[in-house]
Amino acid sequence: MSTTAPSTPTAARPAPRPARSPRGGSPGPSSTGRAESRTKLVLYVVGGTLASLVFLVPLVWSVLRSFQPNDVIVSASPTWQQVFQLSLDNFRALFAGDAQIARAVGNSLVVSISTAVLTAVLATLAGYGFGRFRFRGRNWLFGLVVVTMMVPFQAIITPLYLQMNAMGLTDSRLGLVLFYSTVNLPFGVFVMRNAFETIPDEIEDSARVDGAGTFRSLVSVLRPLLLPGIATSALYAFLASWTEFLGALTFLTDDRLYTLPLSLVNLQSGAYGAVDFGYLVAGAVIAMVPCVVLYVALQRFYVAGLASGAVKG
Amino acid sequence: MSGVAGLGTDRAAATGALQAVRHRPPRSLTHPPHQGVLLVAPALAFVVVFVLAPLAFAVYMSMTDWPLIGSYEFTGLSNYLGVAQDPVFWRSVGYTVLYTAIVTLPILVLGYVLAVVVRSNRRGSTLFRTIFFLPYVIGLTTLSFLLVLEAQPDSGAVNVVLRWLGITDGSTAWLADGRLATGLICVMIVWGVSGLTMVLLMGGMQGVPREVHESAEIDGATWWQRERSITIPMIRRTIAMSLVISVIGSLLAFTQFYVLTRGGPGTETQTVVMYIYQRGFVQLQLGAASALSIVLVVVVGLVTAAQFRLLREKD
Repeated sequence: MSTTAPSTPTAARPAPRPARSPRGGSPGPSSTGRAESRTKLVLYVVGGTLASLVFLVPLVWSVLRSFQPNDVIVSASPTWQQVFQLSLDNFRALFAGDAQIARAVGNSLVVSISTAVLTAVLATLAGYGFGRFRFRGRNWLFGLVVVTMMVPFQAIITPLYLQMNAMGLTDSRLGLVLFYSTVNLPFGVFVMRNAFETIPDEIEDSARVDGAGTFRSLVSVLRPLLLPGIATSALYAFLASWTEFLGALTFLTDDRLYTLPLSLVNLQSGAYGAVDFGYLVAGAVIAMVPCVVLYVALQRFYVAGLASGAVKG
Repeated sequence: MSGVAGLGTDRAAATGALQAVRHRPPRSLTHPPHQGVLLVAPALAFVVVFVLAPLAFAVYMSMTDWPLIGSYEFTGLSNYLGVAQDPVFWRSVGYTVLYTAIVTLPILVLGYVLAVVVRSNRRGSTLFRTIFFLPYVIGLTTLSFLLVLEAQPDSGAVNVVLRWLGITDGSTAWLADGRLATGLICVMIVWGVSGLTMVLLMGGMQGVPREVHESAEIDGATWWQRERSITIPMIRRTIAMSLVISVIGSLLAFTQFYVLTRGGPGTETQTVVMYIYQRGFVQLQLGAASALSIVLVVVVGLVTAAQFRLLREKD
């Protein structure tokens, strides 16, 4: 089984075997049950910890790498002293001079935050419409949005490029935002429609009785109830666009507009001078940070979003 | 694959959505239909402009010799025939299928095992879940860049570990050899995306009633017997769905290969999406690239349709 992570220097161990109940008869659930659950608990803790190391060590190692200078990174046998001689030099260099990476980080932030906001707004409006209103063709139109989830954008990238080019949306951060929003929209609409459907009609009705119009009732009364759904669709959109690669590669040619992954390609191929692995790993770690921070802070939305798709499927 | 991955989760939702279309009694007084139409219009406009229009355009273009600039002529189905006769295309198809075949089962098995670890509501299971899912959240683009350095001969961690274990002398140039690069990328992918399968399966597993498990345990069923005859049948739809997500993700693979091998050496590790990109944006044969796009949309559609059939039959 290929469950090892050979890119780690220390822990490359197979994933844990799942807990196995002891063989033999079990006369009563109470007495052996307790012994068995202790065995299971040990297996759970040991197995879970080992697996955690397999997943964490490569990532922690990469972060450590980003503080090493290039000559240590490319050294075949660095001393332990060199390995742990850490500095911020890589990061400083990336943000110094003409600061390609700094600009790329800025571009990526602008693009992915805008995508998150636009996706959340469009998805909320559409979710409200699909979840609360009855109109002719509603189910059909909702089906249409959902089916577009299944059209892989990788496949339509060529005609999409020509069309965006004709619309003046290539080499444009706005174009990228519109494209990413479209890619993330169906999932967002799906989540928001579910969110609207789970809110009892009475809550919205009482707001209406108090005289709130459609949009005011949406904003003031429903907002707290909808926030999880909004957070889910915004978070997905942000994470999906933050390091999106193929679209950015296709739609951007002006390197002043490059997003972070494209700048990393430039670093990797030495477009800014000699290839410096210290810079590359530092850039990749910069790309990692928002994902990890957002995920850890908002993971209940993230996992809930996935589960909402999974449970119904 | 970060974009692909995003689509993968979309697909999970899509499956549910199509089955959950419900009817409500009319409530036209508080919710006038025209307002509903206005609310959904912007989202629909995006879908039409950026998905359906290019799709229709692709069908049209695929039957022309569309250049980047200048006029074009109708060429009928010759693009499709040309693609079908291009050995480089078939090599990329073969390679993509091989790659998909290698990674699919390990992703499912590792995802299942991880889901077993985190499905219990024991102390620490949330922490484990967070950690196992972390590589997926970071995304394949970033992971691929990190692997670039660790795959270097002599200095990369992959080689350092193998040398330390006495398996190789540590001088392997992983990315310069098609087979080695494929193996390394597969390991990275399995490590990086099993977390998604884990979360999906975990959702299914938590829907299995505890009592069923407990009574089977009292009857003396071993762990594997219980998994095989209770859990797996009960979550087979979730398993099917996570399989489709991972298979489609693999068929659309691009980023990890672009970053790590650029499809090389030669075209040895060129995936289908890379081939389309190459035809369209490097060789500027947009008609041919569009023909390929249509084929890919149809293939992905067939895989998805197969999933729907599978789900409906076993319901």
